[in-house]
Amino acid sequence: MSNIVEAKSLTKNYGSFTALDGVDLTIPRGAISGLIGPNGAGKTTTLKALIGLCDVDGELSVAGRDPRIARHKLMEDVCFIADVGILPKWINVSQVIDYVEAVHPRFERKKAEKFLSTTDIPANKRIKDLSKGMVTQLHLALVMAIEVQLLVLDEPTLGLDIIYRKEFYDRLLNDFYDGNRTIIISTHQVEEIETLLSHLVFINKGKIVIDSSMSDLSDIYTEVLVDADKVDQADALQPLYVRKLLGKKSYTFESVPKEQLKTLGELHTPSVADLFVAKLKEIKYG
Amino acid sequence: MKNLLLRNRYTLLVVTLIVYMGVLVTEGMITGREARGIEFENPYFDFNSTDFEGFRQRRSDSENENIRVEFDGTGDV
Amino acid sequence: MDKFALLQFYALLKREVLEHRNIFIGAPVVVALLLLVAATWVATQIDQSDLAGGLRFVSVLFDGLSPFDIAPFIMLLAIPFYLTLYVCSVIYLINTLYQDRKEMSVLFWQSMPVSNLQTVLSKIVAIVLVAPIFYVLIIFGMYLVAMVWLTVLGISNDVDLVGIGYLFLAAIASLVLIYISAVVTGLWLLPSVGWLLLFSAFAKKTPLLWAGGVFILVGFLEDFIFGTQFLANWVASRTSDPNQYLIFEFQSVFERVFNYDTLFGIVVGSILIAGAVFMRRFTD
Repeated sequence: MSNIVEAKSLTKNYGSFTALDGVDLTIPRGAISGLIGPNGAGKTTTLKALIGLCDVDGELSVAGRDPRIARHKLMEDVCFIADVGILPKWINVSQVIDYVEAVHPRFERKKAEKFLSTTDIPANKRIKDLSKGMVTQLHLALVMAIEVQLLVLDEPTLGLDIIYRKEFYDRLLNDFYDGNRTIIISTHQVEEIETLLSHLVFINKGKIVIDSSMSDLSDIYTEVLVDADKVDQADALQPLYVRKLLGKKSYTFESVPKEQLKTLGELHTPSVADLFVAKLKEIKYG
Repeated sequence: MKNLLLRNRYTLLVVTLIVYMGVLVTEGMITGREARGIEFENPYFDFNSTDFEGFRQRRSDSENENIRVEFDGTGDV
Repeated sequence: MDKFALLQFYALLKREVLEHRNIFIGAPVVVALLLLVAATWVATQIDQSDLAGGLRFVSVLFDGLSPFDIAPFIMLLAIPFYLTLYVCSVIYLINTLYQDRKEMSVLFWQSMPVSNLQTVLSKIVAIVLVAPIFYVLIIFGMYLVAMVWLTVLGISNDVDLVGIGYLFLAAIASLVLIYISAVVTGLWLLPSVGWLLLFSAFAKKTPLLWAGGVFILVGFLEDFIFGTQFLANWVASRTSDPNQYLIFEFQSVFERVFNYDTLFGIVVGSILIAGAVFMRRFTD
């Protein structure tokens, strides 16, 4: 199976609020996939649904299982780090390592201890006495010592110092990712991860707006810095979004052949952040 | 049907309570349950502290009796 | 059952004890210390020779009886511990599936390959089977201290130490009966265990209020809908008699466990426990 996540028509309502509105999602194995969206778009709900912590309607398959039916079996192959500090406050470092070692068949204690030896985390400190950055370091150390197929990260670096953030992604890429494992990261700090990603998902108001590999993106989306005299021509091609940039106008186009756009001005591929804004503020035609 | 029953925590609670009530009411109807205490016996709760000698005698006797009974069972007395 | 599953379950039990040290260890230790302090105070109010005389009298009184006959009397000393365990159990059960949702650590626990059934079962085993072990050990410690003290008293007042030794044996025997009583009571009260767990898993706030409020409501509903009071009768019949909570003889254990009322209670408790297990899916 080449896709680690296959989701169709996922729906979730909290009372009258629709968190997920028919989400279709496909994430290929071995991808580093970014789930990007504004606050309240449905990122956390989607991720929790993938690991069975949130009941949703629709078809869902993660690593070959339905998370709603066999969550605990799925957790042998999937790990999760959330934005809030979810490690229990009362437990200390060595106790949580003992616990994970006992309950997880794929946990390698030596690996975890090796990762931890490069940090300043003492073995007998309670979680509640650790800083947020250290808690994330600890949680990552635990997760990296498990042979999982999929790692789901929900805003893992939220509220962390830049040093912890950089180190987090460093470790993730160098020590964890091996081409076979899949990582799904949700964040609204787009710039931080855009160079890491191989796959991109935009979600807004419970709907998927983009679901594509990074290489396909550069074929579909083009940004053009349009010369002043070509503005009318550019408008006629129904741009996705227009903004002012350096005295000129920058147009973002979706699915318009590059040959047509070459004549209008300088072409380049929009950054993920710019594309994100463009899709959010999309001009509606008709 | 299962999805309907387990949609959210409220429906699950209601379903559980309905099954619980159903079982209890049915059992009550079948056994004709009335308000009464279920009687368990505890000889020590009937203990009379002024009759301690009698108590000792009874306990010693019952111990000896047990031994005697065993003997009868295995031997050919 | 394979070794890994056993190790997993052991780790779950260990988690419960570590997380609730106050209930498993702290509370009984406090009770034991209070009792020892109280006993010491009482002893200082009485003349030493009177004390020794009392000790002599007791040693002679129990002459001819086996430790298991004496044990029930000593069990009365454990009543404060029963009450403590009872209150602590209610606090433990109503909080155990609620606390980790309140502080979001439920996301960590559920990101581990441990099923909801294993989780809930481990909590029941922890409070019904494991907690009484800690309590019994602490009571033993208390008896040991008392025994040393009594021996010193006995030696200095010429009391026959064999009698004291006999008392100690009876105290050990009573510990076994205390443990059995606690476990059998746990089985007997399984419906209450299930009820508390159900609301611990259900409530977003104030689980105890939910548990109590719905209990009253359900009783009224039964009367309103069916015109019967089987629920109220059933609960009253199971909780009203102190006889139901103490076992004084080994011989009665079998009939205490394998009788219709206990077994029916286990069925009812299982329904509520199943509800709690399914309720664990809702972490929001």
